[in-house]
Amino acid sequence: MTVIEASLERALPGCGAAGTEIILKSSEFRRGREQSWRELESLIDRAEQRGVHALSLEEMQRLPILYRAALSSLSVARAIALDRDLLLYLESLALRSFLWVYAPRVSLIEALRAFFGRELPAAVRSARWHILLAAVCMVVGTMAGYMLVAQDESWFSSLVPSGLAGGRGPASTQADLRDKEIFAPWPGVIESFGLFANFLFSHNTTVGILAFGLGLAAGIPTIILTVYQGLPLGAMLALHHHRELGLDFLGWLSIHGITELAALTLFSAGGLLIAEKIIFPGHYSRIENLSLHGRIAGQIAAGAVVMLFVAAILEGGLRQLVQSTPWRFVIGFSVGILWLVYFSWSGRSARP
Amino acid sequence: MTLAHGRAAEFFEGARRTRRQIVTPEGVALALDLADHGERIIAFVLDFFIWTVLTLAIYIPIISLAGTGSTSTLIAVSIALFLGFVVRNLYFVFFELAWRGATPGKRWTGLRVIDRAGGPLLPSAVIARNLTREIEMFIPLGILLSWGNTAGGSPDWESLAIALWALFFAALPLTNRDRMRGGDLIAGTMVIWLPRRALSRDLVERTMRFTFSEEQLRAYGAFELQVLEDLLRHRDRPESVRLYNEVCDKICRRIGWTQAILAAEVPTFLRDFYTAERAFLEREKLYGKVRADKHAQPGRKGEGKGVHQ
Repeated sequence: MTVIEASLERALPGCGAAGTEIILKSSEFRRGREQSWRELESLIDRAEQRGVHALSLEEMQRLPILYRAALSSLSVARAIALDRDLLLYLESLALRSFLWVYAPRVSLIEALRAFFGRELPAAVRSARWHILLAAVCMVVGTMAGYMLVAQDESWFSSLVPSGLAGGRGPASTQADLRDKEIFAPWPGVIESFGLFANFLFSHNTTVGILAFGLGLAAGIPTIILTVYQGLPLGAMLALHHHRELGLDFLGWLSIHGITELAALTLFSAGGLLIAEKIIFPGHYSRIENLSLHGRIAGQIAAGAVVMLFVAAILEGGLRQLVQSTPWRFVIGFSVGILWLVYFSWSGRSARP
Repeated sequence: MTLAHGRAAEFFEGARRTRRQIVTPEGVALALDLADHGERIIAFVLDFFIWTVLTLAIYIPIISLAGTGSTSTLIAVSIALFLGFVVRNLYFVFFELAWRGATPGKRWTGLRVIDRAGGPLLPSAVIARNLTREIEMFIPLGILLSWGNTAGGSPDWESLAIALWALFFAALPLTNRDRMRGGDLIAGTMVIWLPRRALSRDLVERTMRFTFSEEQLRAYGAFELQVLEDLLRHRDRPESVRLYNEVCDKICRRIGWTQAILAAEVPTFLRDFYTAERAFLEREKLYGKVRADKHAQPGRKGEGKGVHQ
């Protein structure tokens, strides 16, 4: 029996004189460890406030030691102490340090490199069937749009939102389309890189994210939205084809459109992936299954945002700068092949 | 669960906290408090406010600086649009990455995003949970804001359909036990309430003026001890004096204390009683006789049965 226990025994049953000494085991325990808790607390405070670089090398080395000491203190306190304030403090301190000690310690640059070098291409490869399905949806939409407008041009205005049509419509003549749109003179750096790219970048991203997020609603809205995205494309194609500008239109479109359509397809594929994991959970519960595969879908969508960014730059800059249809095809398809090679091969050999 | 999370927690915080548990690699179980719906809404409103101010702070100077020249206005507007877009889409991702799962709004309300299984919060999870925010928050908000414009004579079926979608997503956190919104579902994360707690000083006195017999100390359990602890920690409340006197009277009656206690000595008496009671209960706990509250019956049968105050 220790001295503390002994003194406790003596003090408790005593109905002795006033001024009895009493020593609590939990109190002694606290007195012995408190300094290391305070040290850990100040480290975690600083790390939370100013990031990991606020700590010196020595402090970084002490952090895991202090953390494990705090965990052991918590276990002891749970067994011996009834001080609610102390227990709550230790619970909170242990959890805060746990989150900090086991947080992935990667810099932003490393995270980005891992993301683009390995994770994104792997995620895209693992979703190839979803991508195929999304692409089929988009082709179906395009064909439907083409056939409707090819039969009757009055469909055009209902299929193409006025923002996208940009003044084009059944009333446009061949010369209008050729000189004002397809082979319009380059408007200069400012205008092309500025407003146009910006508008399209954020508009397309919103539509794409919509298709992605609606995957949560079992994927039906994603499919509808993907088909719907193909409609204006088909309608435009039919309009230009009627005016014998079909090939020129495709060239005008391909320079950025290949990247852009690929990005929109990826968004839809991400949504379909989510939908699949909700509808067919397999061995897991739906929620578990979703969290196992949802990150892949999120990575695909994040990659698609970047592709839209590239597409917007191509559209704003290069499209009107390159005035010949063959060259437009060459640029558009080489960019497309680059994407294909990147997604198919990048990071294959790297170990995760 | 430990005693800190037992009846005392219920008493002080109401029954509102829902708890989950993770086990650290060291094998220690840690309790998590799920964030309330209310706290999450407040955190989002704070973030939304910051985001709006940031966007305006970008828009206004750029657009006013640009003047009226058509070219410069065009550059200005495009830069402003671009930055606004970046701010909107990267605000949450940036902070949740840099601050380990907290945005400014979450930090002020004491919330944290964590991995649901207790693993590290990976960058890909942060990206995934915030991309869906667009559809869960910003699009419904946009619809709500434009509601006034579209309200014509006839019902606007398209807006109504979209509003139903929006409701579906807004109601998602209400439909699952872990209060996850769509983004949490996808990323495998959840939001917990993790306030910074300070350690106050130990209430235990070394030298006691009053002493109590074991029989007297048997009258109460851990719950009553922790309520008394809370009372002693908050001495500056306006009703403290009255409460101290009432509690002191109650304790005296229950333990059969016959000596008179001067008004000035009441706090000392309560502190001494707290110290003695804690010493007694902690010793009993070491021997495995945990006494949760005054109605519990440790060891001996028949004791404390049916005793109500």
